[in-house]
Formats: sequence, structure tokens, C-alpha cells
Amino acid sequence: MSRAPAVTMRLRVDPVACEGVGLCAQVAGRVVELDRWGYPVIEAELDARGVKAAQRAVRACPRRAMWLEEADTLR
Amino acid sequence: MSDTLVFGTPPLPAGRPAVGDPCLLLGPVQLAPGGPADPLEPAPAEDLRTHLDRLGPRPTGSPALMTALDEAHLTGQGGAHVPVTAKWRRALTGRGPLTVVANGAESEPVAAKDGTLLRQRPHLVLDGLMIAAEALGAERAVVWLHGDDHGARQALLAALRERPWVLGHPAVEILDGPVHYLAGEASAIARAVHGGPALPTVRRHPQPGAPRTLVHNVETLARVALLARGQAPTGTRVLTVLGEGRAVVEVDARTTFADVLVDLGWTEAPQAVLLGGYGGMWARWARVAHLAVDESALAAEGLTLGAGVIAPLGAWACGVHQTAGLLGYLASMSARQCGPCVFGLPSLAEGMTALAAGRSGDGVARLLADAAIVEGRGACHHPDGATRLVASAVSTFADDVAAHAAGRPCGAGDIAWPGVDS
Repeated sequence: MSRAPAVTMRLRVDPVACEGVGLCAQVAGRVVELDRWGYPVIEAELDARGVKAAQRAVRACPRRAMWLEEADTLR
Repeated sequence: MSDTLVFGTPPLPAGRPAVGDPCLLLGPVQLAPGGPADPLEPAPAEDLRTHLDRLGPRPTGSPALMTALDEAHLTGQGGAHVPVTAKWRRALTGRGPLTVVANGAESEPVAAKDGTLLRQRPHLVLDGLMIAAEALGAERAVVWLHGDDHGARQALLAALRERPWVLGHPAVEILDGPVHYLAGEASAIARAVHGGPALPTVRRHPQPGAPRTLVHNVETLARVALLARGQAPTGTRVLTVLGEGRAVVEVDARTTFADVLVDLGWTEAPQAVLLGGYGGMWARWARVAHLAVDESALAAEGLTLGAGVIAPLGAWACGVHQTAGLLGYLASMSARQCGPCVFGLPSLAEGMTALAAGRSGDGVARLLADAAIVEGRGACHHPDGATRLVASAVSTFADDVAAHAAGRPCGAGDIAWPGVDS
């Protein structure tokens, strides 16, 4: 009842930290795919299932290159 | 006026600001095609006495100045043209110690307007830096230069020696950055002024108490210094124009591209111009000849002059071949940190080279697809400059692209531009 309204979340990658390991795309294929060099391309809009997948990607990254943030956060 | 430029018509006399009007440069200069902005002939530099005689004492900076900056629609002259007050308001939201940086590390190989301004009117830039630092309560005021820009450093040091009595808080620091294309990138500067490497970075989770860095182009700060004195906006634009050498000129912003080139002695219309530099965009000459160099007028046409670089391409040259060389340069200037840039930019350069050689087949589609996939995926906007260059080349040189895609190798001669292997 008293829960705060859902906030739109966005998956971000730090391209400096990312080394193209690619685990993110394996565990979160619905929101991450790899470009032809093996680096993640991220779905812009995350629905509820997308957020779950994004959380898996964040946990899976061995370079800790990914994070979730509110979509209206300034880049 | 016809669609295409008719050279030979007398140049309009209104190309330059009238004597006595507010302006930035003391005069135009001619330079070698590349390298630091040291003029070929000795050019005037303004000492403190002349500066004060001309403009009066420097006012103290305060946040109230933002009204004047907004009314003047002052935007960043480093190329991105972000409203100055938007950056000030963002800087004011943090609480950490603030460093204001006057960025004089212009990195486009052709660009020399900032180096020229620093050599001619160092006091104007220092005034703007101090005004911004005071207005925002900064703890540090830094001038950031390329390590090889000895001329700018000497001009600034001489200026600082003249004004010990305005040494207050904060004292101006002059810092030398690396001699690299990305040394002038704002996030790289923010790291470097706090002792880190001068490499672009992504700010992950801004902390309220984290150190803040506000980076302004030196021309932007010079304009702040004029507006803070209650002067009207100059109505001028400072340009670097590539020819056999380079010319840095300040013109009335209503001046057309055609008049800029005619005034500089061009007698033959180019086929296209590169706007903003190597990380900029191509435009057909017929499209821009009669447009004003004013940034807002260009924005209405979907164009931008970035940091004011104009590089005309002669009618005899091949834009596809030239673009391949530019992309090779941009790829070589990656900070080599982000995968999409490390792999994407060489791929774009190779694709454009193959196209110019007439051996890419249907490679145009792949080139554009690669550009689309690279766009926006670096820590900084370096790859975005390359993708914009690709897109603008494909549309600007559509005929050459079609001929090369059909297998015609490039028969055009090489155009040597600074830093570009052709």
C-alpha cells in the first residue's frame, strides 16, 4: 500500500573498466548483447524482468564495470 | 546570390568587427599548418596597463553575473556550446572543494584560436578565470595547457608577473598536460588536476562531498570577462581556417563562409568544408557558402562549427580518401581505454580506406552500421566525433561514395593535413 512509486532503472557500463569478458550477455541476454568486438550494448529501457536481468549482469561482471541507476540521473 | 559560390565578386567590407567594438583578438595571425599557435610574424600581446586602459578594472565575480551570461546566451567555445550557466548551476549543486579550469589545451590539429587568444590577451583570460572562481567560491583556479605550448605558457607567466597585486584567493596555477588529442577532454582534466592520469573517465556515483571541477574553454572565460564588465556580447566569432597554412581571424558572426574565404584570399570555391575539425563534420560548399558562421544559425541547419575550425577541401580532392586519413588519425588518438573506441575506430578507418580504394563492395552499409554501434559508447565523446565524421562524409560525398562502392579506386591526389597520413 505505502510503497514508493516504482523508479525507472537503467543499466550502465563503465567502458573503461569493461574488458569485454561477456558474462553480462550470458546471464542477461534480454538486456545486454555484445557488439562484434565483444563489448556490451545495453537495452535502454528496462522493464521489471529487465531489471532482474540487469541485476544478474551487475553481479556477474568480474570487472565490476556495471551498475544500476535511476534513469533520470545525469550522466 | 546563386546556389553555388561565385568567387570574384568583391568581398563585403563587414567581415571584421569595427574598430572600437568589443572583441577578443588584437588582430588576425597566420600560422604554420600544424603545431602550437605561434604566429609566423610577431603578433601584438596586450600588457596589463593596456588591458586596464581598454577595459577598466576587473569586477569581482558573483553568482549574480549569471543573469548577464544568460541574457548573452553565452555557450562554451571549446566546441560543445553548452550554456555556461548550466555548467555553473551544476557546479553549485555540489559541496566538495571546487576547481575552476581555464582549458587552453585545444587539441584539434588545426585549431589555434585558443592559443592565439592566450598569446594576445592573457589578462582577459585570467580575468575570466578569476571572475568564475570568485563567483562560484572555487578553492583552485587552474590554466590547463598542452605540455608543448611554450608560447601560451610564457604569455601567461608574463601576465601573472604583471599582476601580483591581484594575487588573491585562489592563486592561479598553470598546469601542463600531455601533448595528446584527448588532453583537453574535460573528464581527463578533472582527473589530472587532482593528481590522476589525464585520461577520460566515467563518473559513476557522484558523491555530494566529492571534489568538483568546472572546465571552461579559455575563449569562453574571455567572454565572461567582457560580459562581467557590462559589455555587450561581441557578436564575433574566432575562427581557425586551414589553407596552405592556418589563419586565426575574428569576424562578425554574421559573416558568411564565402566571405571568410574570400577575405583570406581564396579565389576558387572548395567542394566541401570540414567544420569543427577532425572530430567534426563535413558539409558541401554549396550548402554553407552563404550561411553565417554564427553557431545558432548553423545549429538551425543541423550544423556546428565546434571550436571554430574551418578546413576547406579543394575541388580536386577526394573527400572519401581524405576522411579515411582523418579517421586513421582519430583512431590513433584514442586513449585506448574503451573497447568500442579501441576496436571501433580502426574498423571505421579501415572501412573508409577500403571504400576509397574501391575494394569495399557494399561496405558502405557496414561502415554506417559500425558507426551506429560505436556512437555514444566511449567514456568520452572521442568516438562520437569519428562516427559523426563518417555519417557526414557519406552524405556529403555521396557521388564519390557511390563511385567507389562501384569499384572505382581513388585517383585523386593527396591533401596533406596536419597529423594525417595520406
